[in-house]
Amino acid sequence: MKGLSHFFRRSPAWEDTVFWSLDLETEGLDPRRHHILSVGMVPVRRGLIRLSEAYASLVRPSGQPTVENGAIGAHHLRPADTADAPDLASILPAVKERIEEGVLLLHHAPIDLGFLRRAFSENGHEWKKPLVVDTVRLLYRSASQERFLGGQNTDPELNLFAARQKFHLPLYPPHDALTDAIATAELFLALRSRLGATRVSQLT
Amino acid sequence: MDPRSFLRQTPPFDVLSDEDFETAAGAMEIAFHPAGTRLLTAAGKPSEALRLVRKGLVRLEKGGEVTQVLEEGDFFGFSVLTGTVETDVIVEEDLLEYRIPSTVFRALLSDELFARFFTKRLAERLRSASVVNMPLLPADVLAPVGSLLDHRLVTVECGATVVDAARRMRDERVSSVIVLCDPPAIVTDRDLRNRVLAEALGPDTLACRVASSPLRSLPDSTPVFGAMQFMLEHGIHHLPVLRGGQISGIVTSTDLLRHQSHGPLLTFKKVEKMRGPSAAKGYGGDLARMVSTLLGSGLPASHIARLVSHLNDALLKKLVSWAERDLGPPPCPFAFLVFGSEGRLEQTLLTDQDNALVYRDSSADASTYFSAFAESVVKGLVAAGFPPCPGGYMATKWKGPLSEWIERFSGWVQAPQAEAVLAAAIFFDFRKAGGSLDVSSLWDEIGQARKNAPFLSHLSRAAVGFRPPIGAFRRLSLENGGVDVKKGGITPLQGVARVFALDAGLRATSTVERLRGAASAGLISREMADDLIEAFEFLLDLRLRNQFEALTEKRELGNHIKIEALSQAERRHLKEAFLAIRDAQREIVHRYHVTTA
Repeated sequence: MKGLSHFFRRSPAWEDTVFWSLDLETEGLDPRRHHILSVGMVPVRRGLIRLSEAYASLVRPSGQPTVENGAIGAHHLRPADTADAPDLASILPAVKERIEEGVLLLHHAPIDLGFLRRAFSENGHEWKKPLVVDTVRLLYRSASQERFLGGQNTDPELNLFAARQKFHLPLYPPHDALTDAIATAELFLALRSRLGATRVSQLT
Repeated sequence: MDPRSFLRQTPPFDVLSDEDFETAAGAMEIAFHPAGTRLLTAAGKPSEALRLVRKGLVRLEKGGEVTQVLEEGDFFGFSVLTGTVETDVIVEEDLLEYRIPSTVFRALLSDELFARFFTKRLAERLRSASVVNMPLLPADVLAPVGSLLDHRLVTVECGATVVDAARRMRDERVSSVIVLCDPPAIVTDRDLRNRVLAEALGPDTLACRVASSPLRSLPDSTPVFGAMQFMLEHGIHHLPVLRGGQISGIVTSTDLLRHQSHGPLLTFKKVEKMRGPSAAKGYGGDLARMVSTLLGSGLPASHIARLVSHLNDALLKKLVSWAERDLGPPPCPFAFLVFGSEGRLEQTLLTDQDNALVYRDSSADASTYFSAFAESVVKGLVAAGFPPCPGGYMATKWKGPLSEWIERFSGWVQAPQAEAVLAAAIFFDFRKAGGSLDVSSLWDEIGQARKNAPFLSHLSRAAVGFRPPIGAFRRLSLENGGVDVKKGGITPLQGVARVFALDAGLRATSTVERLRGAASAGLISREMADDLIEAFEFLLDLRLRNQFEALTEKRELGNHIKIEALSQAERRHLKEAFLAIRDAQREIVHRYHVTTA
């Protein structure tokens, strides 16, 4: 037991850690073919989501935009909306700087991580995989904890919108990267509390 | 709704300039606390931010007793300003809170309207909120009446004859002239016809002999709707307007009409032109259109109600005159009384008739005459759009000589049975709307209630029979997703005001005047009266707007207000209005020793 508590002590307390919640709106789900259209980021610092530090930008896709059936329906951005936005290369430093400050917080991490990795390497930035907290993984963990405690034996709702509803979080309009980043950060706070996690290692 | 929009629509953030709001929204912090978390401790460390409940519930406790439960849209953490935490603040249901950090919040307080929200009492809060929420008023109802003057004052000397007056009017193309006697008087077109020609007076008749005085006048700063109300009340078509105490001109009903297509004066004119009961048919529709216009222009429901009452009175006078025309002159003086909302001057849409007839002599002749008379008037009211009263409180049934009425009123006060209390609640809100009989002796009987503790106690019990829909911990308790503003607010408050008025010996019947009177008599504090008046006007307004929406959507008119149809600000005011009424009911229970069965 001594060893275990030692292990926990090594991991920082969650309140002392900065979590940067990030959301990307993209043309589609394939980083090789689709472009990033907008980025939203907001930090959780000392347990508070701080809108004063929020970062958001539209991104002008380089080269031919890939418009596919239904894609505009998913992200609600038309080519004209991003025509005057900065390109990916010019916003990446701002994104990188924030990611490197602490833990990266994502809802369904693999997709966004794929886009970020590709964006970094294509623009000459080294991609050092950050410590990642994925709210989808926390949802699984919360569901199994619930089962263990004798609750309902159901699969967790993994969709951000549905998961938030289950945790009685307010309804936010979708399709905006910053709002989704805030929504993810709130879900994270609710899950953190539900799981009783106090150390970062209990969340990653 | 995203965090920014939610904050924007939550008062007082809705009054901030765009720039200030950006400062607030940009500085917002969001936190989550599970149920059971103690956020603040009484006399402990003050809050570092102004805090807004976004989701979940928070309970305030004093010495372990829950004093209040905060819900979505409620603020806490006022200790950020005062430095002292008054109550324990504990999360009741998982809380998502928005926070405005101390420094930013303090900076916003330089906005006076914003700051006032956090410092003032209910009445002022409601008042300032209604100013903000009210649509901009068109110039035609709130403009000063002086702005309608478009002709200099036309006068004749005191010794002028009617011919001099008529010539001046012709030359100046006006319909009235001021006769400069002491006091000054007014001669109108109508006077020349009715008081000179029709009376076969000669051209040498002095103008002052047929002129009206003293003048019924108003300062030029009076809002147009006030002038309309005044002219309707006194049945005049020419209004001398005063500037600095001097007559500066005459505003005519035509001047006012020009500004209003569905205005009260047009409806009034229509009533005046009615020649027989069949003409009364369109009255209900005209009235509804007028109310809709006034409502749309932002006039408060209580003002609209007064205008409606005056119009109803004008109609009633017509019906009375037709009855007299058909039945011949009455054998003795009489008074046509109206009750309930009509008696309190609080009627807005045509509701069930509540009326009665009192006549001086208890002769068989009178009985026969007034039976037919009541039939005729009540039938006319039905034709005009006033449905018959389902409880049968109508002049066709409730009629009799004054002596009988005095006995009846006295019986109700002396032997307050359940039935008497019900009758008192209806009949004691009476107003004479027609006839010339002096009915002040009825008020003398009602005045006996003052010294009659059992009566007041019974009446009080009735006044607290319906409770505002406030549940445990000061939360609104909803029924079918809404509240009944009549049962839960308007009726209890009318009941409360009635008790105070009878105790203070007031003869006022309108709820607002009764509350003011109760404060003047020292029965309640000025603050409580203000709070209750604001609450009352807010509820009346809410109900009237709701009823008009129902009319437009062809739904049934009711008193049920859906909570989701209300803005954040309206929900808050609704709750505060109900809380004020609950406080007043508690005061009543305490003061009149009501024992709840």
